[in-house]
Amino acid sequence: MASKVNTSFFDLKLTVNRKEYNRRIPTHLRLLDLLRDELKLTGAKEVCGEGECGACTIVMDGKTVNSCLILAVEAHQTEITTIEGISPEIELTKLQQAFIDDHSVQCGYCIPGMIISGEQILEDFHQPTRQQIKDGLSGNICRCTGYTKIIDAIENTGKNS
Amino acid sequence: MRYLCPNSIRELQEILVKEKGNDYSILAGGTDIMPRYRTGLPLPKIAIDIKHLPGYGSISEENGIIEIGALVTIEDIRKNHIVHKYLPCLSQACKEFAGTQIRNRATIGGNICNASPAGDLLPGLYLYSAKLQLISALGSRKMAIQDFILSPGKTALKPGEILVSIQLKNQFDNSKFYKLGLRQSMAISVINYAMGWTVGEKSISKIGIMAGSVAPTIVSLNNCCKSFLSMENDESIAENIARDIYPIDDIRATAKYRQQVLKNLLLHDLRKLKG
Repeated sequence: MASKVNTSFFDLKLTVNRKEYNRRIPTHLRLLDLLRDELKLTGAKEVCGEGECGACTIVMDGKTVNSCLILAVEAHQTEITTIEGISPEIELTKLQQAFIDDHSVQCGYCIPGMIISGEQILEDFHQPTRQQIKDGLSGNICRCTGYTKIIDAIENTGKNS
Repeated sequence: MRYLCPNSIRELQEILVKEKGNDYSILAGGTDIMPRYRTGLPLPKIAIDIKHLPGYGSISEENGIIEIGALVTIEDIRKNHIVHKYLPCLSQACKEFAGTQIRNRATIGGNICNASPAGDLLPGLYLYSAKLQLISALGSRKMAIQDFILSPGKTALKPGEILVSIQLKNQFDNSKFYKLGLRQSMAISVINYAMGWTVGEKSISKIGIMAGSVAPTIVSLNNCCKSFLSMENDESIAENIARDIYPIDDIRATAKYRQQVLKNLLLHDLRKLKG
């Protein structure tokens, strides 16, 4: 955050990756900073910081959102899933495995956001078409421009489900 | 920053009375507020989060009049079958609005109050004669959207007043929304417009065109529509389009480009309507 005037605090309660947290936080703290700096969940990344790139994408009460555009206080009493909690078990989700099998990862920075948006696309469309995948990924940018293989992984996961 | 999160209208009204004149911001989706702070502008001293106010998060229809709560998100409008049926321009605009993550947070009320000349919902809201319901501790009032939006970022909202719902009526049999951005996703419009028309016995009997990003606020292309209805030729329609708009040069396009591209697109559409 650019400036900190009159720091006030807020007693925040929220669930992240099925675990409950209580934290006293400054009201100007962004949700992304809470996740990364306080809860040490560094999967969600900051790239643009203004909602253009989707590297900070998380699931909040069942919806994909940019955690850089949300104040932590707004997450009071919500349920959040980050990339660290996307699979309820130790093993990877089918989509995560597909990203490996289809060689979808280059530098990797956008991938947590891509996986979260990808899981959402698979939930919405079961067997999504390439156009549906592209539309669903419109809020996620891959600066290596490796979109083809990312789309392949989501498409193949749909087909093999 | 003090963070206030009223859970009822009454609580909100008390806050608005108390904080009237203070530096507060109304926070709904936050998608326009947060990037602004990142660019170095200070946070407001007080944020009033209205997300949890009951009663303003749904869409309903009665006798062809559609009411949309100010807290309805762009994604909910995009998926809504009432909007799809009655207000196609709005459905289309929501489809082309940013990406899923922003659509899941951004609200229609925020898009209106942000009063951007490029706001993607605005041409459709003007076309469907949006009436805005504003409330304050003193009561409520209704206002047409063209009276509400004054200039970029400026609205007729008084201190202590908030926008709670939008009423719309589509007076056209057909309508379409068009957005020209520099890429397909996430782009802020270079120009956008909503167009509605009704076909009479022999020809088009009624037409309205609202264009965005070509003036400080959305403009109604009255001269262009009149010229079209009087069967004037393309050149004269083009001249009238130029009379209706006041585009500027900015980071996305030059004024000259905006003028030319709007003429090209509209003449193409209007030729098709003539058949």
